[in-house]
Amino acid sequence: MDKKIYLLIVEDELEVMDALVKDLEKFEPFFPLETANDAVEAEQVIEDIISEGNSIGLILCDHVLPGKNGVDLLIEMRDNPETSDTKKILVTGQAGHEDTILAINKADLDHYIAKPWSREELEESVVRELTDYVIEKEKNLLPFMQILDSEKLSEAMRKKQMGDR
Amino acid sequence: MKYFTKDSVSILLGLIGFAIPFFVSIPGLSEAGHVALSIFIIAAVFWMLEPVPIYATSMLVILLQVFFLSKQGVLFPKATAQYTPNSYTEFIGTLANPIIILFLGGFVLAAAAVKFDLDKNITRVLLKPFGSRPKFIILGLMVVTALLSGFMSNTATTAMMMTVILPILAKTEMDDPVRIGLALCIPFAANIGGIATPIGTPPNAVVIGALSNQGIDIAFTEWMGLATPLVIVMLIASWVVLLWMFKPKTDSIKLDVKGAFQKNKDAIQVYLVFGLTIGLWITESLHGIGSSIIALLPVAILSLTGILDKDEIRGLPWEVLWLVAGGLSLGISMESTGLAEWIIATINWNLFSALMLIVVFGLVTIIMSNFLSHTVSATLLIPLAVSLATSGAAGEGFSLILISLVIGISSSMAMILPISTPPNAIAMSTGTLKTKHMTKSGLVIGAFGLLMVTLYALFYWPLLIN
Repeated sequence: MDKKIYLLIVEDELEVMDALVKDLEKFEPFFPLETANDAVEAEQVIEDIISEGNSIGLILCDHVLPGKNGVDLLIEMRDNPETSDTKKILVTGQAGHEDTILAINKADLDHYIAKPWSREELEESVVRELTDYVIEKEKNLLPFMQILDSEKLSEAMRKKQMGDR
Repeated sequence: MKYFTKDSVSILLGLIGFAIPFFVSIPGLSEAGHVALSIFIIAAVFWMLEPVPIYATSMLVILLQVFFLSKQGVLFPKATAQYTPNSYTEFIGTLANPIIILFLGGFVLAAAAVKFDLDKNITRVLLKPFGSRPKFIILGLMVVTALLSGFMSNTATTAMMMTVILPILAKTEMDDPVRIGLALCIPFAANIGGIATPIGTPPNAVVIGALSNQGIDIAFTEWMGLATPLVIVMLIASWVVLLWMFKPKTDSIKLDVKGAFQKNKDAIQVYLVFGLTIGLWITESLHGIGSSIIALLPVAILSLTGILDKDEIRGLPWEVLWLVAGGLSLGISMESTGLAEWIIATINWNLFSALMLIVVFGLVTIIMSNFLSHTVSATLLIPLAVSLATSGAAGEGFSLILISLVIGISSSMAMILPISTPPNAIAMSTGTLKTKHMTKSGLVIGAFGLLMVTLYALFYWPLLIN
């Protein structure tokens, strides 16, 4: 694994951010965690990660942010070829119907987590989305067997027609 | 500092090795032999240190031979007293060697089987009679894995079987050694099962291809007759070793593989083609049609019916075919330039008894294969065996087939490390076991394997090949 796959969290409230980071700690050794407090900072972080040749596997994004909102950020990412495949989870307490529909239609939103979340639910969603991401993007799935859905990864390897050597 | 990565040093080593024979004159080796030695060195260094993928090295080998050693190449346009250059078509022709076509047949069958879940359904049905006691579950898993890996790649079989055992692992107590036994029984059975048929694993192809270049053709059933009894003994032995080392605590395991045989038109065609092909392969002695010829049946039928489409044909592991073809190609020039014979001449073989030859070749193969690709190990060693036979250096009693079998089969006995085989790497990646568990059990099985290969080579194989 020369290239790193990042997990990006965008959230403006400090306590919420701390809670998210704490709940996602166990992914850190496999997927380095990056955080941003608003959309502009997130854009900068994304640019830095991409320019170093790494990629973003998953973004967990709050809806209500100072300045540009979360849904707009996700739409931007969808339209950028470097981040269009990034799995996108909206974490929010107050997104109305319209914003949610917009996120699904325009940002290819993969999952929606309502606040407050349970740790299990969050982990489960992150595992599922990252598993799909590495199956789509990575050639060697073995490094992820211990942290992600190993059964699904094995199934993907089975379908790949791997030869002996 | 970045210039001195392991890969760049490996490449540099290969290039220096390649250059040396151009500047140093070696007595007793023809001019073409020097060039072949150059190619052999760069190939061996690249195959062993892997600065580039092993199949890419095979492509390089074919390229270098065509450019430098063929009649159409730049160095030997005319035959000399010592070297009659091969046509370049011989070097590239290895890609359509009958054994390669046989493998292609195996690949399309495996692809179709996976597409229609035939592999999983066979597993589900065959596992049923093994009940729920851990030791019989492990035996069942091993039997099914070995059976499938005889016809599919060991790696694909292991990946499939992981989807069967991972749900069980999730339900067992974390401190129950049965977890380790379960996780290890799959790759070990896959490695061993690959020995059973010519298409089981690429080292078999290396052996069969090299022998057919010497005019010795081994039929599908003949190989199975030679190899299957050994596979059965090794499976039972590995089962016993795993149970002894990792004694299960629980007395019941619930095995629950879901699924049903697909019954649509395409699936039924796949079952028929599968049955027909394997049926014809294992009845070769009755009808006399070679297995490589039969292999064209699934290739053509599965494409004609559209069961495998363009993308699925692209998705076959073509690199494995290149890997084997490059090895066979290297064997051709090592023979024809006299390089292999020269290497052989550096050792006084008269000191070796028949028994010692078997043990030495078996042991060297197992050691190499634990650290290198099995195919590469077999590829590097087989030409030496061939030359030992053709030069007569090893004396009267030397049997080329015997030593080739020892090399080919011993390579599949190497399973002490995660890097030894891709199935081992997959088992390791689950995090269920530590390397020491694999090394400990793999060492016992490897040592027993060497003993068995030796006994079979002394007492059983000679009955069939003479």
